[in-house]
Amino acid sequence: MIALEHLTKRYRKTVAVDDLDLVVQPGVVTGFLGPNGSGKSTTMRVIMGLDRPTRGRATVNGRPYHDLRDPLREVGALLEAKAVNPGRSARNHLRALAASNKIPFARVDEVLEFVGLASVATKRVGDFSLGMGQRLGIAAALLGDPGVLLFDEPVNGLDPEGIRWIRDLFRSLAAEGRTVFVSSHLMSEMAVTADQIIVIGKGHLITQGSVGDLTAAAKGSVVVRAKDRERLEGALRAAGATVEVANDDALRVGGLAAEAVGQLAFDQGVVLFELTPERASLEEVYMALTAGAVEYGSGAS
Amino acid sequence: MSAHPSVASVTRSEWIKFRSVRSSIMGVAVTFVLTIGIGALITASIRTHWTSHPEAHIGFDPVTTSLGGTLFAQFAVGVIGALFVTSEYSSGSIRATLTATPRRVEVAIAKLVVLVASLLVVSEVAVFVTFLMGQAIYSGVVPTASLSNPTVLRAVIFGGFYLTLLGVIGMALGWLLRQSAACISVFTSLILVLPIVTFLLPSSWQNAIGRFEPSTLGQSMESVAPPAHAFSAGGALLVLGIYAVVLTVAAATVLTRRDA
Repeated sequence: MIALEHLTKRYRKTVAVDDLDLVVQPGVVTGFLGPNGSGKSTTMRVIMGLDRPTRGRATVNGRPYHDLRDPLREVGALLEAKAVNPGRSARNHLRALAASNKIPFARVDEVLEFVGLASVATKRVGDFSLGMGQRLGIAAALLGDPGVLLFDEPVNGLDPEGIRWIRDLFRSLAAEGRTVFVSSHLMSEMAVTADQIIVIGKGHLITQGSVGDLTAAAKGSVVVRAKDRERLEGALRAAGATVEVANDDALRVGGLAAEAVGQLAFDQGVVLFELTPERASLEEVYMALTAGAVEYGSGAS
Repeated sequence: MSAHPSVASVTRSEWIKFRSVRSSIMGVAVTFVLTIGIGALITASIRTHWTSHPEAHIGFDPVTTSLGGTLFAQFAVGVIGALFVTSEYSSGSIRATLTATPRRVEVAIAKLVVLVASLLVVSEVAVFVTFLMGQAIYSGVVPTASLSNPTVLRAVIFGGFYLTLLGVIGMALGWLLRQSAACISVFTSLILVLPIVTFLLPSSWQNAIGRFEPSTLGQSMESVAPPAHAFSAGGALLVLGIYAVVLTVAAATVLTRRDA
């Protein structure tokens, strides 16, 4: 379990994380979403004891990271791909990490085999592709067989086969009862990977809940085209719906379900040409939620 | 899991890192080549010109001259020490290192232990080889020194200490500056540029400041009789040791306080 209590991290004048209160539970994959620069990586760095919080604290299994003995046996993390001396072999990189936490060297070959790097174990990491570097980072995270795992943007640089492999890996790790905390700036990725989702923007918590909760909370709309548009529009407004005129004479109706719109049209004797319920995708929910929190927006959005 | 301090296992980890990159191996090789190779060139040149330059016979020190290669090897050991730290920052592996060992002082101690142990062996072997080779080149023509003389033995052993301590200073600069290029510039300035700047000062200042410079301390440590206005060999070792300790403590303080 990972817990953040009023976590704040300020770099000189920039507030990267602002009063974040969170609990990441074991047994599920928790997606950590936010636009670039929203504070995801900073949060993970504070959890891993790399950066010191300005206020509040982060704990892993109830203790600050700094107090963990042989921490690789409790927490594993992939924070950035290929953060390895390019001249060192994959095996030596992992052996150095294993030695510091008294993990037997046999485990090094085990995780290299598991991530599919056994055949290049003695090759210089500098010659690895980004995807291979990512796999080495995953091997390092799994080295101590930890109960808590953090992955910062893990699918970057992976090919489609690698992406599927990593999704399955997250699920199986969570199914074993581990805490799996995965950051991403892509909702589409998290929608298929995560069970729980935490959305942050500009260092603030925006929302959290299960994937189902988030889509259910999203307000859908109904697109309707009618022969007598003005008559239907008046009736809809009278029924309390929000109505806007979309292109080609269609009306976009909010606040009423498709069934209610159809019934209203029937009662008014208006002929309908089209009645289409539109459900917001998780992607749209995410875009709407983070619209105010994008640090480098594209202006016209 | 062990409740005992884990410095031993962290040291083992740092030893794996030190010996598994080319830069350390190259650095050690360069240290040998410079100490022994330049020592051979200097001593051979002195032997060739010995009879034609009688004025050079006054105050001639067969020990210092045979150890002349350390003047060049000092840059190699400084780079070994600095790169052992800065390569972790340039590659980003420092994050993995510090998440594996969150009590950062243990990382600093472990790296120091590995560096000092490696450099002591390398430097002492290099200075003894170059000394013995130099005396062999001198023999028959130029006066020679023998290790049976305790002062000569001290000068040779201290030559190895000098190189080792400069490696430690390089490592401390690595922690403080985090960048290879910055470290190498500062290190080179301390050794090469500082004496030139001092040389431009009035002579009374030169004598007061000059003896605190690392290169002058090295001369005192490696010679049978220290140069004028310089510290004794033991005094020079102490001063250089204080530099190394102060810089290392500063480095450890910065390491534990700064974000990684």
